[in-house]
Order: sequence, then structure tokens, then C-alpha cells
Amino acid sequence: MKLLLIGHPNVGKSVLFNRLTGANVTESNYPGTTVDYTKGYMQIDGEEVELIDVPGTFSLDPKDKAEEVAVKMLKDNEDSIVICVIDSTKIERGLYLALEIIEMGYPVVIALNMWDVAKDKDIEIDLQRLRELLGVPVVPTIAVSGWGVKELVSKIKDAKPRDISKIESKVEGTS
Amino acid sequence: MECEIDERWKLVDRIAEETVTYGDGKTTLKDAIAELTVKPLTGLPIALAVLYGFWSFFSAFAGFFTDGFFVRLFDNHWLPWLQGVFPGKGSWYYFILVGDPAAGNSFEAFGMLTSGLFVAIGIVLPAITAFYLYLIILEDSGYMPRLAVLIDTLLHKIGLHGFAIVPMILSLGCNVPGVAATRTLQTKKQRFMMITLLAIFIPCGAQLGVIFSLIPEFAGIILLYLLIGFIFFGFILHKVIPGKSPEILIDIPPYRTPSLENVSKKLWVRTKGFFTTAIPFVLLGVGLVNVLYLGGVIDWLAEALGPLLTTWFGVPKETVGPLVAGFLRKDLAVAQLSAIEMTKYQLISSVVLVNLYFPCIATFIMMMKEGSERGVRGVLEILGGSLLVLATVLFIWGGLLHLIWIMMGVA
Amino acid sequence: MDENMKDKIGGLYFGVFGIVVFLVGILEIGLGVLNKTVHFGPLIFSGYFMLWRGAILFFAGIFYLLSVKKFSDVHQKAKAMVASIMIWIIAGTQIFSIILDSIIGDGSRWFNTWEGFLSSYAPPYIPSIILLPFTLVVAYYVLSNKDTDEKNEMIE
Ligand SMILES: Nc1nc2c(ncn2[C@@H]2O[C@H](COP(=O)(O)OP(=O)(O)OP(=O)(O)O)[C@@H](O)[C@H]2O)c(=O)[nH]1
Ligand SMILES: [Mg+2]
Repeated sequence: MKLLLIGHPNVGKSVLFNRLTGANVTESNYPGTTVDYTKGYMQIDGEEVELIDVPGTFSLDPKDKAEEVAVKMLKDNEDSIVICVIDSTKIERGLYLALEIIEMGYPVVIALNMWDVAKDKDIEIDLQRLRELLGVPVVPTIAVSGWGVKELVSKIKDAKPRDISKIESKVEGTS
Repeated sequence: MECEIDERWKLVDRIAEETVTYGDGKTTLKDAIAELTVKPLTGLPIALAVLYGFWSFFSAFAGFFTDGFFVRLFDNHWLPWLQGVFPGKGSWYYFILVGDPAAGNSFEAFGMLTSGLFVAIGIVLPAITAFYLYLIILEDSGYMPRLAVLIDTLLHKIGLHGFAIVPMILSLGCNVPGVAATRTLQTKKQRFMMITLLAIFIPCGAQLGVIFSLIPEFAGIILLYLLIGFIFFGFILHKVIPGKSPEILIDIPPYRTPSLENVSKKLWVRTKGFFTTAIPFVLLGVGLVNVLYLGGVIDWLAEALGPLLTTWFGVPKETVGPLVAGFLRKDLAVAQLSAIEMTKYQLISSVVLVNLYFPCIATFIMMMKEGSERGVRGVLEILGGSLLVLATVLFIWGGLLHLIWIMMGVA
Repeated sequence: MDENMKDKIGGLYFGVFGIVVFLVGILEIGLGVLNKTVHFGPLIFSGYFMLWRGAILFFAGIFYLLSVKKFSDVHQKAKAMVASIMIWIIAGTQIFSIILDSIIGDGSRWFNTWEGFLSSYAPPYIPSIILLPFTLVVAYYVLSNKDTDEKNEMIE
């Protein structure tokens, strides 16, 4: 099994990667810290799993070389599960990227990172509803403290490819 | 395609509408401070204070370790001991490893184990530790991208657009990650411009450290001259190179308190990198220059290049040795220059030259790697292009400084 | 205390303090340009970078003065906060350097003597160190601001 960490720049992918694999990838508070991919390994239920930290990307239509790497990693590892890391304070654009990846047929787990910052800013997210609509696991996390990371890992096995039209009809159906 | 994007956004909006509620969006103190740091009127004085903080912290830190500790260790204990026990005074290997047997301090002995070790460990190590520590705090707090926006705003005011400031600031730590950071630029033109400019004009942390430690009184003028050169040639390259350089929009992150864990981890990783990659190169640089001395190559070079150096650049021909060392490590070159007897104007000129004339070997390799993704042609393009620009800049900007000294009547 | 009253006092305090900081800044710039060293009680105006420090204090003083009007607004408090941070940078790095200097001995001695160590901390100090305690008031306003934020939340 292979896992890819994909998300916008500066959402905490590298922090998550270091936490999960014990690696020492650079984490900094500005977008564009990671410009190349790094592989690491972690254990899930006794099984060794490869995890790849990927440069941040705004969309799957790459605008620069770092984003090209991200998209290439996705294309080169078609059998992988994607952990889509989203900044909870900028949830819309994160969802956009997540939908793009879901559309391509990857099994996706969504990590709503920076949950602490969202709380500080009084942003409320209805997790239950979000899970229902998307039909993929959604886990709030605080990568820097490790909060929620365990749950995230436990949900990886639940990730399944999801038909985008099902999401569409779910959304339609409720309105 | 367009339509698809629109539809996806519509879907996103619908989902968000149902699941996310935003708070009252009250400005927090952090937000208000964030605003003050990017507006030029308030941002510039703040940047002035941040810069002062760096300078003051650096002087205290590097002064403590270099003058308070390493100078004594090397000059009072290491050098006399080594000169005493090392066999073969007058032999070639004594010259290469220990250097001048009569030297009274490690700095001017010019041996691998004397000057080499002293420069690497006694001067550069404390300097880059201080430098990295400050830079890491700027990175992790979120001030760095704001400084980038501030500088970008100012550049816009003088008509410069599309410059990538973040790679520039990163280059101040080391040019290698600076070159890597250009991968986030959108066009070939921008990447080429930034790689070339930073390789030519931006001194790395080690080099800056040596300048700050050994010749602090000239640091200001040297950096100012390089900065003006950066802007001037940046403007010209922008006009001359075909292609687009779109605006760079930086997504500014919120301020965060840097975590002690991450700061110390990064500091450790970078200092370790210094031990494994830089120290061998500094020692190798000293060794190489000494070997070339013994082989007569340096003297021959000094004679051959002497006229060019003295008439065009206005620096003494003895600077050839350090200039050669500069291919391996520029910090070493600056240190060696400061030990050569010359006027302060010549010293300023020669340090500027070291800066301009060739990227250090690590940066050079990194540049080749960046080009190599497009095959041999890519490598040739980036190296050929950069070296061409470099040679031009070296002659114009290096010669101009000499001209300035002549006009001031000091050269 | 009544919030309004508190902010009024804050505005007044930083108004007065801002003038002091501003004047000290001008003094440092002036003496820096003339390259003079002046002792004055526990204060010393001297050093390599007095001009630079003076310029920073000059701006910090202006920031304080700008913050005074409608001090209750976060944007205004932010100005006082930033001005204080600027002074903390100067004083902090100076104190750091005093500490390091106190450790190193002179001559061939690696470490300082006990007397030498203690005497390193004696005055005179540069003005920013003296100004430092007075800037801490800003911390009170910032922290109490947070408290009221939280209280409001609870009411909601
Ligand atoms: N408060 C808070 N900060 C976080 C959290 N996760 C990450 N950060 C901070 O966010 C910043 C960015 O983290 P990185 O892991 O470097 O981001 P990245 O996604 O790898 O970014 P790129 O490499 O640029 O794509 C760092 O300063 C982290 O300390 C979180 O859950 N809460
Ligand atoms: Mg990263």
C-alpha cells in the first residue's frame, strides 16, 4: 500500500509526514518549503506502508515545477491512497483540490488540518454533514501537536474510490 | 474544460455552504500586526528593527564564540602545539598542512590544519549558527513572506515586477536551497533570471558571516553595492530575456510562534550539513591553493592575470590565491583576502569580486541539476546563459567599482 | 475597571511614553551623527550602532503616538504592540550581549571571575534597556484584551 500527502502549500503536509514517519523533512511557515518529493515508511496494523511527502499544489493543472512534481507523483502512483490535507481555515479551495483527486478515481482521506486555528477564528465545520456529502473519511487534525493524527491513520483503511456524480446527487438531493 | 472548473467550484460552494459557518471575522491583534508589517510606511521601520536585531544578535553570538573562545583556543593552544610537534619544517607537506612555521596566529598561517580549521570552525561555524538561527525564526514565525511582500511592493514602486523574493531571502542562508526554491516560479524566464541573479549577487550565510566577523566596517558598503547591482542587472535581464515574468502572488500565512522543537531540529540539520559538506571543502580549498602555490601555478596565474586584476579591477595580484580558493568556498576566499595586505578600497573591491565571479561549487552543481531536467540542452542553456551573464556582470560591475574609487581619488 | 476608562488611561500612558521614546530616539540619532559618547546617570549614549538604534526608537515613538487615538481599537493597540516589540528587539539583543560578555574572561582566562561577572551587569545601560520595563504595560493591554474576548464568547 502507498500513501500520498497532497494539498495546497503551507497546510502542514511536511509536519504530518514527519510525525507519521519520524523523518526530518523541513517544515517552515511559508508556502513552497517542499519542492521535491520525499519517501518515508510507517506501520499500519503491522503492515509497512510507504508514505510520500509531496510539494504543495493549488490544482492538478500544474503552474510551476514544484506543482509538476506533485501531479507527477499522483500519476506515477495510481494504486495509492491519497491523504488530502486541507487548511481548515481555507476549506473551499482545499475541497476543490480534493474533488479533483476524487474525480480521478483515487481513494481519498481528508485531513482537516489547522483545526486549532479554525477554532480560534470561530470557524465551525459540520464534520458529520461533510462526511455524508463527500462519502469519504474526514478527520480533523492538528499536525503540530499530533491531535487527531491517530484517528486519521485509523481511517486510511476506510478510504474507497468515490463516484463524483454520487457526491453531486447527494448535494442536490438535500437542497 | 472551463465549464468543468466552474461546475466543480459550484459543487464546492454548495458543500461549504452546508457545512461551514464562519465566525464574526473580528480582526485579531495578530491580524492587525500582520497588516502593519507589510504596509511600507510601517513595515520599513519594523524591517529596520528586525535587521538591527539580526546584526546585534549576530555580533554578540559570533563574537562570543569566535573572539572569546576559538581565537584563544587556536592561537594560544592549537597553533603553538602543532608548530611544536609537527615534523618536517620547511617540507612541502608542512607547508600544505601547517603553513607558515613562524605564524603568530592561526589565521595567517595558511595551512589546512591551521587557517583551514580555524576559518571553518572558529569563524564560519559560529557565524552560520547565529545566521541560521535568526533565519529559521524568521521562517517559522511567518515574518519572512511578509518581508518578501514588503520588498516586492518597494520594487514595484521603482518599476520592477515579477521578482521572486523568497528564493532571494533563502539564498542568504545558502544559495543551494535558494536555487531549489526557484522551482515554484512559473516561467523559464523567471527561473533563469532568479537563478542567475542569486548566484551572482547574493552572498551566502557563510560568506556573509565571514564578512560580518572579519570586516564588519565594510559590510554595509559591500552589501549595498551588491544590492544595487542586483536591481540594476535584474532590470536589464528582465528587458533583454524573452518570455514572460508574471506577478508572483505570495499566499501569506498567519503569524505563528516558532516551536522550540522545530527551530532546534532545523538548526541541527543545517549545522550538521555544514559539518559534512562545508568543512571538507574549506580544508580542501586551503590545500588546493597551497598545492598550487608549491607547483608555481598561483605565481604564474598572478603574473598572467596581474595586469587585468590591477588595471581593470584595481586589486593587487596577490588576490589570485583567495580567488582560486573561492571556487570551492567563498567564505574561505573572503577570510584569506582579509589577511592580505592592501588598502581598504582594494579590500572592498576584492570581496565584491569574490562575490560576483563564480558560484561556489555546490551552487554550480545545483544549477546543473536544475537544468538537467530538460536534458543536455537544459544544462547548457542554464550554465551557458548564466556564465555569460556572470562574465558580463563581473567586468562591468567589478570595473565600475574601481572607476568609482578612481573618481574619488582613492585608488 | 471600566473598559472605556482603561483604554483612555492606556492611550494617555502611551502618549506620554511615546513622546519620551521619540525624544530619546532623536537624541540618539543626533549623538550618533556627531559620534559622541555621553554618560547621564545610569544611561549611556554610545556605541557602534547608536544611529541605527536611534532611528528605530524614533519610529517606535511615532508608532506609540499614532496608537493613542481610539486606543480601544485593535488596530491601534497593534501599533503600540509593534513599537514595544521594536524596543524589545534592541533591549533583548543588548541584554543577550551583556550576558555573553559577562561569561568570557579577559587575558588568558577562559571564564570571567565572579566579581568581573557581576560587574558586567552594573549600569550604565543604553536607553532601550531602561525603556524596556515601561513597554511591558502593552502586555497588560494585550492580555486583558484576550480575556475580554473570551468572556464575550462565554456570554454568547
Ligand atoms: N497551528 C497549527 N500550525 C500548523 C499545523 N500544521 C502545520 N502547522 C504549521 O504550518 C506551517 C507549514 O507546515 P509545513 O508542513 O511546512 O507545510 P507544507 O504543507 O509541507 O508546505 P509546503 O512544503 O510549502 O507545501 C509550519 O509553520 C507548521 O508549524 C496545525 O495543525 N496547527
Ligand atoms: Mg512541505
